[in-house]
Amino acid sequence: MADSLSDLRNLPPFVLEKSLQSIGAVCQAAQSLLGAIDGHPISHDTVEPGLEGPNDLDRATSDFANRAARILRYAALQSAEGRGVVEELGDAARASFAGVVPRDPLSLLTFPMRLPLSFGSLLTQELVRGLHALEIVGTTRAPAFLIELVEAFLDYPVFQALQYKDEIDRYRERLRHAPDDATARLHLGRSYTKCGLYLQALDHLALAAGHPTTRAQALYERAVAGTRAGLYRQAIIDGSLAIDAGASKARCQHWMWLSSQKLGGYPPETPVERRIEMATGYAPTRLRYRDVAQEIGLDKTSGGRGTAIFDITGTGEMDVIISAVSGGISVYRNNGDGTFRDASVGSGLDACVNSWGISAGDYDNDGRSDLVVTRLGFFDGQAALFHNNGDGTFTDVTRDAGVQSWAPGFTAGWVDFDLDGRLDLFVPSNLGGVFHRSKRHRLFHNNGNGTFTDVTLDAGLTTWGPAVGATWGDYDNDGYPDLFLSSAFGRSQLFHNNGNGTFTDVSVAAGIDRPCFGMVAYFCDVDNDGWLDLVQYLWCSNDDMIHSLRHGRATEDGQPLRIYRNNRDGTFTLANDELGITECWGSMSGNGADLDNDGRIDLLLGNGGPQMDRSDPLVVLANDGHRFSNVTFAAGLPAAGKAHGANAADLHGDGRISLIAASGGMYPGELLTTSVFRPESLTGNYLNVRLKGVSCNRDAVGARLKLTAGGRDQHLVNNGGSQFGCLPFEQHFGLGLGRKAERLEVWWPGGARQTFEHLPVNATVTITEGDGGYTILKRGPNPL
Amino acid sequence: MQAIGDILENLMLPAVDPAKGNCASSLEAALAGRRGAIVVFWSSACTHCVRYDGYFNQFEAAHPELAFYGVATRFSETLDDVRKAAADRGLRFPLYHSPDGAAAATYLAQQTPRVYLLDAKRVLVYRGALDNFKYPEDPEYQPYLERAIASFLRGEPVERQETGSFGCAVRSVYYSLPLMIERQH
Repeated sequence: MADSLSDLRNLPPFVLEKSLQSIGAVCQAAQSLLGAIDGHPISHDTVEPGLEGPNDLDRATSDFANRAARILRYAALQSAEGRGVVEELGDAARASFAGVVPRDPLSLLTFPMRLPLSFGSLLTQELVRGLHALEIVGTTRAPAFLIELVEAFLDYPVFQALQYKDEIDRYRERLRHAPDDATARLHLGRSYTKCGLYLQALDHLALAAGHPTTRAQALYERAVAGTRAGLYRQAIIDGSLAIDAGASKARCQHWMWLSSQKLGGYPPETPVERRIEMATGYAPTRLRYRDVAQEIGLDKTSGGRGTAIFDITGTGEMDVIISAVSGGISVYRNNGDGTFRDASVGSGLDACVNSWGISAGDYDNDGRSDLVVTRLGFFDGQAALFHNNGDGTFTDVTRDAGVQSWAPGFTAGWVDFDLDGRLDLFVPSNLGGVFHRSKRHRLFHNNGNGTFTDVTLDAGLTTWGPAVGATWGDYDNDGYPDLFLSSAFGRSQLFHNNGNGTFTDVSVAAGIDRPCFGMVAYFCDVDNDGWLDLVQYLWCSNDDMIHSLRHGRATEDGQPLRIYRNNRDGTFTLANDELGITECWGSMSGNGADLDNDGRIDLLLGNGGPQMDRSDPLVVLANDGHRFSNVTFAAGLPAAGKAHGANAADLHGDGRISLIAASGGMYPGELLTTSVFRPESLTGNYLNVRLKGVSCNRDAVGARLKLTAGGRDQHLVNNGGSQFGCLPFEQHFGLGLGRKAERLEVWWPGGARQTFEHLPVNATVTITEGDGGYTILKRGPNPL
Repeated sequence: MQAIGDILENLMLPAVDPAKGNCASSLEAALAGRRGAIVVFWSSACTHCVRYDGYFNQFEAAHPELAFYGVATRFSETLDDVRKAAADRGLRFPLYHSPDGAAAATYLAQQTPRVYLLDAKRVLVYRGALDNFKYPEDPEYQPYLERAIASFLRGEPVERQETGSFGCAVRSVYYSLPLMIERQH
């Protein structure tokens, strides 16, 4: 037996993965066969579950597994008076399976066979994810990493559904019966931190710190809660005591450093050996940012997720839309004077709660960009399509348009994949819950009459791996946009667009399929060679992020974001080493734009993680044409944060690209405000270009632009960016000190090409497909 | 649509705890003899609301010219849930119940806590968050509501009449899914 296990461990991960997938497929096939017999086929449709609970067996087994995990998590809190674990598991089983209990004689016969098959297929999916986790973070670090992830996934529905009160009540009840239970006290303190009730948290954590078994973690949690409560000196003291008690030195020192940043330095009583400085973020730059969010009325507090920046009603000014993990979507209209007003109420978007990604795209070519909104990110939810009415309001047309897609959704985006002049919609399906059964992604073809048809299977997109992000770009310059799926927990995939409505998986041949915790991704041309490169933003553990901050490089097995350089032959090469990409960040969002107007795409990383002890900076990596360097702190960006929907836009029409970061977290205790970091000066000349499609889709999504200025070429693609922060369609070229923009080529989707000579500098021009000229857009006065 | 300057609907909601005797028969009645009122959409399950327990309890004493009209309106929140929370937390402010988000829908409120400052004729003066609280003694703290009240009571225009949506959703899409924690029976 021992030999057999040893043999199993020695198998290459790829072989194990394929074996498990085969077992899962066999389970599914057997279930399908039984389903054909009993008349209850397996449903892979991403349809809304019934109000009374799961309405198919696979969903029921997943639901029960998640419930059981939660019950077992609290098993230690059971009191003599309360219900027992077995009783709770029984209740959970009744709740999960009530809707799928067999009622006809044939199903009664097949159900006992289908049930283990359903659990079997679920288990194989979990094991494959476990293998990927081992491959990504290594066997040594995997347990701690997975424990943190599992806690977050178990907490997610509880906190989003505002059931945390029940959780707190359980801890309090436990402490009523066992007041000396330091573990329960510790977790109660942590729950209060998650709720933003920091002072209550500090009290309970102080009590937990009095017990030797919980002292180290309780003091560390006090450092976290104290920093969040603004009690910086005490937080530094607690952090130091936590180190003495055996807590993670690196994590404690990170929170002590965050507090010291707020104090302007360490207090004198801080032991010198406990003080740290960060080794990255100080590369020289001419950028210097100032947060103007409050000044311009964009200081939305709490729960920020995706952002979209576009002109809602055709005023010429950029409006800002911010989604929220808990509440409705906020709409900020540009007043034309550099400030914004909250126009959410009555917009039709304010009622769309629990929203994550937002992508703009004019699917009906009426001249007004519409919106697709994903919901819940890591939990099942219904993506929504909103039609822009042109008067500042939006109408939910999800059902009429036929784009219902009930699945965990992080991002969604627009593409005209068949170049018929109408934007199609792609909605990736993400990982949802600890025990999650992957759901298929959805490609909806635009029928041209306000409705869409799901063509996923016909298109050959039969992939089932969960994906946070997707990006479309014509990497082989054949005119058709291709699809990259950024896997949340496994192997990413690249699909080549065959030009006939179908796609071919070329992941392995292209060299982009290494497992990772992939988040969003972005096709862009980082080296301006006319071939789209691929930027994939990855998530990493807190420890890896802190290591990068401290040392300016990733741990040996850490995973920095990936820049795949296009080899111009259908393959890519991971170019991190040559480009100086050496640090790990917990990127949840990311985008690219020429932030310093030097004619090269820089990268913006919105970082963080669900845990309350996670606070990552928003990172800027500046591209000097050869390498990227971290200029975050040199540019005046803050040390702490939890940025989602990272976006970059010339909000004020003066050539300065502001960074917009919708901040917030999974827990209500993340009391953060949207930031707008605006450069204090113009670091180079610029040209902004807006495209208006006529034959192609109206927003010209998929258009490529080549600017020749000062003897150098720049290439941009109009694709909305990474979709979590939906970049504006306005394309921004930095010109450095150059005063000339000699030539602009526009490659419209569908193949038409136009060339324009001698464009103005430091201006925004609008180009309409087929027109020989351009118009200069006047933007409003800018008091900033 | 609802705009600043609009007259908002009168609310006639049952008191959560009539025995306390601090509730009026309607918002109109609560406004009688006052210069205005704040209507606060609230929930016993909202952790953000918890932070304002003391502020709400003291509100009418601090602002005798204004009525306080708290509305517990969260979807699926029962009267018993609200009563229990009020007792546990020592809530003394006037609190009314409007089940399943009905009143919130009338006022186009999506989150709790969300506050509406009205004048004596129910004309909307300010709507939005109470403040941008993150932690005590935050140097960037902005008391949105108190500033609006101060301007309003001085008879001056309110500089910032609206702030962004903030807090916990009145109706979360999670309600179409089963509860992840089984409630204690």
